[in-house]
Amino acid sequence: MRILDKARLRLRSLCRRPNVDFELEAELRFHLDQLIEEKISSGMPPEEARRAAQRMIGGIAQYKEECRDMRRVNFVEDLVQDVRYTIRSLAKSPGFTGVVVATLALGIGANIAIFTIVHGVLLRPLDYPKPDQLMYLTAEAPAIGGTRSALSAPEYIEFRQMDRSFAEVGAYSTGGTAYTTGEVNLTAGDRPLRVRSISVDAHLLKALSIQPEQGRFLSDEETARWTGTLPPPIAILSHELWRTAFGGRPLVGQKVEIDGRPHEIVGIMPPGADVMDNHTQVWLPLWLHPNMARQREAHVLYVIARLKDGVTAKVAQTELSAFLENWGDRVGTTDHVPTNRPLRSVDHTLQLRSLQDAIVGNASRPIWVLQAAVGFVLLIVCANLANLVMARAGSRRREFVLRTALGASRGRLLRQSLTEGAVMSGAGGILGLWLASAGVRALIRAYPASIPRTSDLTIDLPVLLVALGLSTGTALLFGFVSLGRRRTSSMMTALKEGAGAASGAWRHYARRGLVVAQVAFAVMLVIGAGLLVRTVYNLTRIDAGFDRSRLVTFSMTLPMANSEPDTRAQAYQRVLDRLRSVPGVLGTVAMSGLPPNRTPDAIATPIENYTSDDGRPFEIIDYYQFVMGDYFGTMGIPIVAGRGFERTDNASQGKVAIVNETLAKRIWKGQNPIGRRLRPPGGSFGASDDVWHTVIGVAKDVRQRGVERPAGTELYVSLDQHGVSPPSMNVVMRTTLPRAAIGRICRTRAATGSHRHLRCALLHGYGAPARDRHSGRPRCSSLPRAHTDHEARASGHGDGYHHWPCRRPCPKSADCVPAVWCAADRYRDDRLCDRDDYGRGGRRQLSPGVARITARPERRAQR
Amino acid sequence: MAKPTDLVQGTLDLLILKTISLEPKHGWAIAKRIQQVSQEALQIQQGSLYPALHRLEQQAWIKAEWRPTETGRMAKFYSLTRSGRKQLERELANWVRLSTAINIVVQEA
Repeated sequence: MRILDKARLRLRSLCRRPNVDFELEAELRFHLDQLIEEKISSGMPPEEARRAAQRMIGGIAQYKEECRDMRRVNFVEDLVQDVRYTIRSLAKSPGFTGVVVATLALGIGANIAIFTIVHGVLLRPLDYPKPDQLMYLTAEAPAIGGTRSALSAPEYIEFRQMDRSFAEVGAYSTGGTAYTTGEVNLTAGDRPLRVRSISVDAHLLKALSIQPEQGRFLSDEETARWTGTLPPPIAILSHELWRTAFGGRPLVGQKVEIDGRPHEIVGIMPPGADVMDNHTQVWLPLWLHPNMARQREAHVLYVIARLKDGVTAKVAQTELSAFLENWGDRVGTTDHVPTNRPLRSVDHTLQLRSLQDAIVGNASRPIWVLQAAVGFVLLIVCANLANLVMARAGSRRREFVLRTALGASRGRLLRQSLTEGAVMSGAGGILGLWLASAGVRALIRAYPASIPRTSDLTIDLPVLLVALGLSTGTALLFGFVSLGRRRTSSMMTALKEGAGAASGAWRHYARRGLVVAQVAFAVMLVIGAGLLVRTVYNLTRIDAGFDRSRLVTFSMTLPMANSEPDTRAQAYQRVLDRLRSVPGVLGTVAMSGLPPNRTPDAIATPIENYTSDDGRPFEIIDYYQFVMGDYFGTMGIPIVAGRGFERTDNASQGKVAIVNETLAKRIWKGQNPIGRRLRPPGGSFGASDDVWHTVIGVAKDVRQRGVERPAGTELYVSLDQHGVSPPSMNVVMRTTLPRAAIGRICRTRAATGSHRHLRCALLHGYGAPARDRHSGRPRCSSLPRAHTDHEARASGHGDGYHHWPCRRPCPKSADCVPAVWCAADRYRDDRLCDRDDYGRGGRRQLSPGVARITARPERRAQR
Repeated sequence: MAKPTDLVQGTLDLLILKTISLEPKHGWAIAKRIQQVSQEALQIQQGSLYPALHRLEQQAWIKAEWRPTETGRMAKFYSLTRSGRKQLERELANWVRLSTAINIVVQEA
């Protein structure tokens, strides 16, 4: 009751202030009149009585103020008054206000933007139940620098026996059914889509503890115990793909075509479900070819394990170490089993790390560095603005002194200064939030692959709290700074001095200190930025081993399920021929791996009359490069000994190969490598058997794993000589044509007439294709990502060990559905194919054997 | 600025509550009444009376209403609320305890 009464009174005081004031006035007036009357009745003349009474009572205004204080609402009233006053006085100096608010907005905005990333990527736990329990298992081969590789199928099965620490252990492969690029063609009705796929076993979904939104997940019979010769024809769609591509209509139980085979949709994933930041759109059952399931060399599975309740990562690590100690003895072989001491180049070990660490990976340090950098920017902003505010306070000194003289207490003045600070910081903070949300979006769009976990990066509550904290902090700072050390004792002098009066020694030193701090922070930032720029400059100056100027590239894939190695080779050959006939194209070649950033193949290659350090007749060669056309001439790679591939080789029976300098040195150690022989596995590029290849030349080293890393060993094989091709090839053109023209050519010439039912899908990256806001058409946002480290890690290509999968017959060879997609211009501009249709043109089927991809005019000009 | 008070802190509240406990009174009457009863010993200044009244009203111990006085003029009359009556009892008990204690000390010493 009493509380209600109190609240009612406060509310009345606040909202009906004129009434309350009037009443107070009347009450005091009544008192005064009574006093006067008393004096008159005691015999005083009326005029004198009035004066005497007023003298007795004193300042009515002051009582009123005190009564108001008693009502406990002055705080709010003063605040409103202060805010009003602040806004008025700030509006009077728009220059000052503009500079302060804009500077604050930049400082706060930059910090919020980066903190959004810090929070969303590094701090926010993964979206699985009990995410701390999830561990990621990888194979590490330190001797050859292989790290974070996949496990082989036998290793996975053996690891599953470790049941003391782990509640559930599951595996996945991002290779899809074809183990190629982690993408598949998905066709439902008339709409072909290129979507990101993942192959998982039933255990993995249990380990992640995710439940289907609709339908069901996979069963053991469909993954581990599946005995068919092809993977089970079922699929689960991601919630997002289901919503965007199928409009959320009931789909469970219906069939879609995936890489040319009908698959039944058995379930829909809950929103946001994903594995290892793969941006998965379609989930397929994990199925391994029986050969691969037995092969210890084939590292194709990534393993995620969930710890039992109460088991720590350390305990699990101990169990794993003990397990590694006698792994070979337990499984009865010493060949290619994980060990605790991976000393030889063929050895590897297993490593457990938390799933969150595995996802965030190397991104953590740059993000923290960025956060520190913008932190310094905020400090500079604060120092700068403190200086500005202080200068302004100097010129307002007289105003403050005058107010002190009129009875304002120091606390009251401080409150007003703080209000001023809060108004400016608040405005800066709000503007900063807007800048930050725009900045984060721009950052993700500009570097989609360099930051993990960006799909659900938003400005959420913790970020807002940090924004509020930053604004409050700066507000306090400004409030105190602008009030400064104002002494009331010198009131008179200050009043006489007038505006812009000399500031005290304290102010002088404080401002000097601020300038020093500002310069120091700025110098630090400039040095840091300079070092980064220098690094980038150095990277551009590094000789990657080939001539990077005027090169354009895109990649093509003909899924293994629908094509034979020889028909693929013919299709690619036609693409190359068409491109070569374009005026302005100086040379066109195709190759399997795109330097200077590709994942190592690490293929064991038998070499004639050779014994390796560990007594084997073969050597692990880091990179295989399968090429079509005049590779060395077009790429500008010098041949340092012998000769390059020539047309005459194509007809000759003896197969030829070219090695790089590193490989020549490693194996033949200073002797002449020309004429030596080695036998690359035919399965690695689509040939039916392994044949001896004669070395005809030595090529200069080309950087393959980042320009900053030394070149590995590399072997070149000419596909023209073999007439076969692996499923995916990269096309490189050297051209004098302008950028826009190249984009059109990539999309038209490359695909036209090269294969039946050719569908063009731009490599659009993750998620469903973004819609163009104006035309409503799907849009390709950013392109060549298939070859970034991140993607390579996510795709089925184990970093240390990459094996082309076994050949499988094409089930419907007459009706193959290859896809060509353009990864555009890696060397010129990462976004050549900026906007384009996604698979629209390709639907127009012409006569058999010919398909056409309609070029869309560049819409950029219209915008 | 220090508030002028000749009374022990808190006793003004007690005096006001006690004075209006019998019948509602306006500010002037309260001051006069205290003055009379204390035989002119206690002079309540306007500057302390009205803030105190407003404070007590904010505490919801007293409530106010506008009523005509015997001369017909409107004045603000204060009366005790239920919680105010309880508060009066508490303050009274406190006062008795305190004054007794002070008396004992003063007389013994």
